[in-house]
Parts: sequence; structure tokens; C-alpha cells
Amino acid sequence: MSLLSVRGLGVHYASRAGKVRAVDGADLEVPAGSILGLVGESGCGKSTFGRALMGVLPDAARIATGEIVFEGRNLLALSARGRRALRWRRMSFVPQTAMNALDPVQRLRAQMLEVLQERGGLGRAPALARAETLFRQVGLDPSRLADYPHQFSGGMRQRASIALALALDPALVIADEPVTALDVIVQRQVLDVMRDLQARLGIAMILITHDMAVVAYACDRVAVMYAGRIVEAGTAAEVLERPQHPYTMGLTHAFPDVHGGTSALVPIDGAPPILIDPHPGCRFAPRCPFAVARCHAETPVLASEGDHTVACFRAGEAPALRAAAAEPATWARS
Amino acid sequence: MSAVIAAEGLEKTFRVQGREVRAVQDVSLSVKAGEAVGIVGESGCGKTTTARLLLRLEEPTAGRITYDGQDITALRGRALLPFRARAQLVFQNPFDALNPRFTIRRALAEPLRNFGIPVAEHDARIEAVMQRVRLTPSAAWLDRHPHELSGGQLQRVVLARALIPGPKLIVADEPVSMLDVSVRAGILNLLRAARDELGLAAIYISHDLALIRYVCERTMVMYLGWIVEDGPTAELIEQPLHPYTRALVAAVPVPRVEQDRAPLPIRGALSDKPLHGVGCAFRDRCPLAFARCEAETPLLRPTTTGRRVACHLGEAA
Repeated sequence: MSLLSVRGLGVHYASRAGKVRAVDGADLEVPAGSILGLVGESGCGKSTFGRALMGVLPDAARIATGEIVFEGRNLLALSARGRRALRWRRMSFVPQTAMNALDPVQRLRAQMLEVLQERGGLGRAPALARAETLFRQVGLDPSRLADYPHQFSGGMRQRASIALALALDPALVIADEPVTALDVIVQRQVLDVMRDLQARLGIAMILITHDMAVVAYACDRVAVMYAGRIVEAGTAAEVLERPQHPYTMGLTHAFPDVHGGTSALVPIDGAPPILIDPHPGCRFAPRCPFAVARCHAETPVLASEGDHTVACFRAGEAPALRAAAAEPATWARS
Repeated sequence: MSAVIAAEGLEKTFRVQGREVRAVQDVSLSVKAGEAVGIVGESGCGKTTTARLLLRLEEPTAGRITYDGQDITALRGRALLPFRARAQLVFQNPFDALNPRFTIRRALAEPLRNFGIPVAEHDARIEAVMQRVRLTPSAAWLDRHPHELSGGQLQRVVLARALIPGPKLIVADEPVSMLDVSVRAGILNLLRAARDELGLAAIYISHDLALIRYVCERTMVMYLGWIVEDGPTAELIEQPLHPYTRALVAAVPVPRVEQDRAPLPIRGALSDKPLHGVGCAFRDRCPLAFARCEAETPLLRPTTTGRRVACHLGEAA
């Protein structure tokens, strides 16, 4: 059984122009102990999705539909208090900017102790010992617990923010673009810390990112989000090497490969739709080079073939579409 | 072909809270017409300062800059105006590079006015540059304001603004880092086409080696103010000579499941108290450092294969 199972999740924002369906019927399964990469362009709803899982949506947003089943319980049926009790202890969050997780006027030690003592109910001595262990686990010198966040470099802050997220041994960590602001060597070191923790402690992670290379490096599963929905999901090998959704195919060709020479990168023309009054049919159809009449009229639903799920009417032709998608001319604006 | 822009012994030292920060140390380089050169390195390596020095936006502490063979190091103020028209910067963040109250037409006419290009030529120049950045038909765009454009469209305008005075050199500092993945490729393709078709000398500043590989034939790697390696991009990536280049290349993830996940050949983290004075700046993080690296600063020297590297390894003692 999945650790986390999201079904038909809809998150709506109130705006002057109307109701924005930022997440609109998203389905996702996260097995225990896996690192899942959630990818998509900005504005596809991936950050809102992550915040909905954590129960930290902004005031203008509300969950309109669906359920979030975590460790067998529907989180949306829990009271605010019940929800809070799970946060840190069973699931925790690493935001994009570590400064959002860390308090600038408190030493790291005080921040770690606050979580460990107040949320975790540990005594001071065991809490201190645990804080030191956590720092070591993420590759920080425990003596740096005496520092303030501003004394840390960007990479060290991100490590501290991961240590904080791990404090109470959660089963799931949700990290929103945790390495995007970091230099490449630091980025790699932070990803290695995450991979190591997953391997040693069996923690499941959702890594929200726009970077296909980061996903390929660090994740064993991938879910691709477009216009508020998951359009494709499966093992990293399946989704990245044998994508079945044209959007995933487009993303893989838009990315430069450091060892890949200079074959042409292909942009996906256009932009994700504004989700105030979405048109019927597949949300990607207006940008899709393979769209047929049916794609504009009917909405494809996720269908599984083994461990690989995809929402596309032409998934059966995926090998032929993949070959066509590798040609830049396929994506040229007509 | 001779160099469009060249620098010799370029140095820049900032004073920050009474402390000396050597942002750029003994940098010598040259870029020819039609050549695209990448400068890569981590934050704080001096790549942006080097670009600003070359564009004469920052005064060098020492060294010499030549444009088209002419020494421009001593030029100031109005005397730099002809150079400014020929050496253009493509801004990183399209969302604040344009005045929100100006239409696209006005944003493009402004540099023409600044560089004294006759008004009679403006419309034709604007039309040509809009074609070049593929914002067509131009009539559909010129009367819009920045807030009506997407990030990718804005970056095309930013590029158009850099190209419209007719530069010989463009410098792009992280030209796509603020853009969405799906539109990055389009901007990079435009930059490549502009360079090829106009025979521009181009300098790309980035921390992203995959991007640099896509647009630059030649790449320089900077570490703590020094150029540590310089060579054809493909060779530099596939057979790095400097231990820092090796670590930098190894750290770049690739968008394929099969990839090298071995520990990086580098120690520690970038220090906030960099090593100065005698010795190699990288020695505290280098897995291959030996006694000489402590005693002697390695100079950027040419190799037999036409590359340059600053490392004592493989150097005749």
C-alpha cells in the first residue's frame, strides 16, 4: 500500500477574475521509502499541491475536492489540531529558501531544541544529543549548532533546514525546489544527503522541482504535473526514458545535457493555461503537436499499464510519438 | 581573425568592511568575432565582475582592456559612448530589466536615441530586430507594455534591446536562469542564431555547464577570481585538466537515469575566508594537492593541445 495516496485533489484560489483551479483533480501515489520527483513548469500547480499536502495553504486557497490519504488516514477529514499533530512528526516540509524555515534571530540549537522538546516531547539532554546526530547526518559539524543562520552559507542553511525536517523521524518529507538556489557542487552535496537519508532511514520524499536532470539524478519515481493535474507517473526509468505523454516528451527535449553535445534543444511553444475557466478536453492539447479532435473535446484520465500511468488518448502510440517528438520540426509553431 | 575584446592582467579588488576581497585576479582573455565563450564557476568566483570589467561598468584595479585592438582602459564618460553601443549586456532578469511604463516600441527606441542613431532609421531597425527575436508580426507587440508579456517574451525584448544598437560584442549573464524550462531553449536558440548571423563575439556567464556546452565553443572556468582552465568546451568537459573543473563537471546532473553518482572529487565547501597570497587558491579543496601547491601559485599556462590550465599537476617541475 502507498504511504501517501492523493485522489482527485482540487485546490482553488479566489481571485478578482474568478476561481483559479490551481490544482484540479490531481492523483498521486507515493510508496513508502521512495524519492518521488514532482516536475512541471512554473504555474503548473506543483507548489500548491505540495502545500496542500502539508496543510499550509495560503488564506485565499481552499481544498475543493478529493482526499489525501496518508498512512491510512484521510488528512482532509482530520481537525486542524489532528493535522498539526502529524506535521513534523509524520510529515515535514523543506521550503525552497531555507531562510523561510529558519528563524534568523535564534541560534540553530534553540530552533532544533524547540522542535525536539516541544513537538517531540524529548528532555533537554536527549534533545541536544539528537540535534547533534541530525547535524552529523546532513554533513554539518555539530559545533555549528551554536551559530545563527546568517553565519551559514546557502548550502549549509539548506542542510540545517533538512535536519530540522528530519528531527522527529517523519515518514515523508516534502521539499519544494530545495536545491534550485544552490551552486552546482553544493546542489549535488545536498541531493546526496537526501539520497543517503532515504537509503539509510527509509524516509519517503517528494522533491518538487522544474529540473529534469535533478529528478533523473536523485529520484526513483517521477510524476509530471501540467495545468493542475498529474499527467504521467511511474518509475524514473520508465517516465524519463520511455515517456508516454507528449508534455513529458517535450520537457525531456527542452533540457541541455552536459555530455549531450549540441543537438538542438526544442522549446515547447506557448504557456500553461490560466486555470480560471479551463477549456474542455486535455489541458495540454493547445500546445501539443499530436493533438487530434478528441483531445480538444474530451478529458483524458490517468490509465495504468503496470507501474506507469499516463493521461493521454494517444498513449498507445507512444513509441511512434517519441520518435516524432525527437524532431525539432514537430514542435515548431505552425 | 583578431580579437573583438581582450584583457590582460585584469584585477579587481573590492574593500568590504575593511577587508580586501580579490574578486578578479590576473585574468587574461580574448574573444574573436563570431566566437561564443562561456565563463563558468560558483557564486563568488568572479565571473560577473569579470564581465562588468570587460564592459567597462566597473573600474579595474589593474590590467588592460582592448576593444578592436584599441586600448579602452583609460577612457571615461562620453569617450566610452561608441564602445557602449558596440558592447551590450543582456540582462538576467527580464522582469525588471524593462521600464514597466514604457511600451516595447519605446524600450527599443531608447537605446537608439541614446547612441545618436537618426530617427529616420528607427522604424526599420525596430522592425528588423523584432524579426530577429521572432516577435512577429511586430505590430502585435510594439504597443504593449511589459506586464502584458510572458517571461520568455520579455527576454526576447531584452535581447532585442541589446541587439538594436548593432553591437560587436554581447555579454549575457545567466540569460535564462529566470525563465521556465520550456522557454529557455527558445531563447538559447535565438542567442545562437544572432551570434552566427551577425558574427558577434559573445560571452556567456553561467553556473550551468550544460547551458554553456549548448551555446559556447570555448569555456573558461573561474575559481576565487582566477581563471583555472580555458579550452574548447567539449574537450574541457570530457577531459578536464584542472581538478576543480573535474569536480564541477562531475557535479552536473544529467537528464538520464543512468549517470555517475560517485562522490565528488572535491573536499569541503567554498570557504568564506578564501586562501590568498602564495599557493594555489584551490589547494584546500583539491584531492590531489601536494607540497608545491602550498609554495607556489600556479600560472595559467598553455598546453601542447592549445588549452590553458593553472595547475602544478602535469607541469614540468
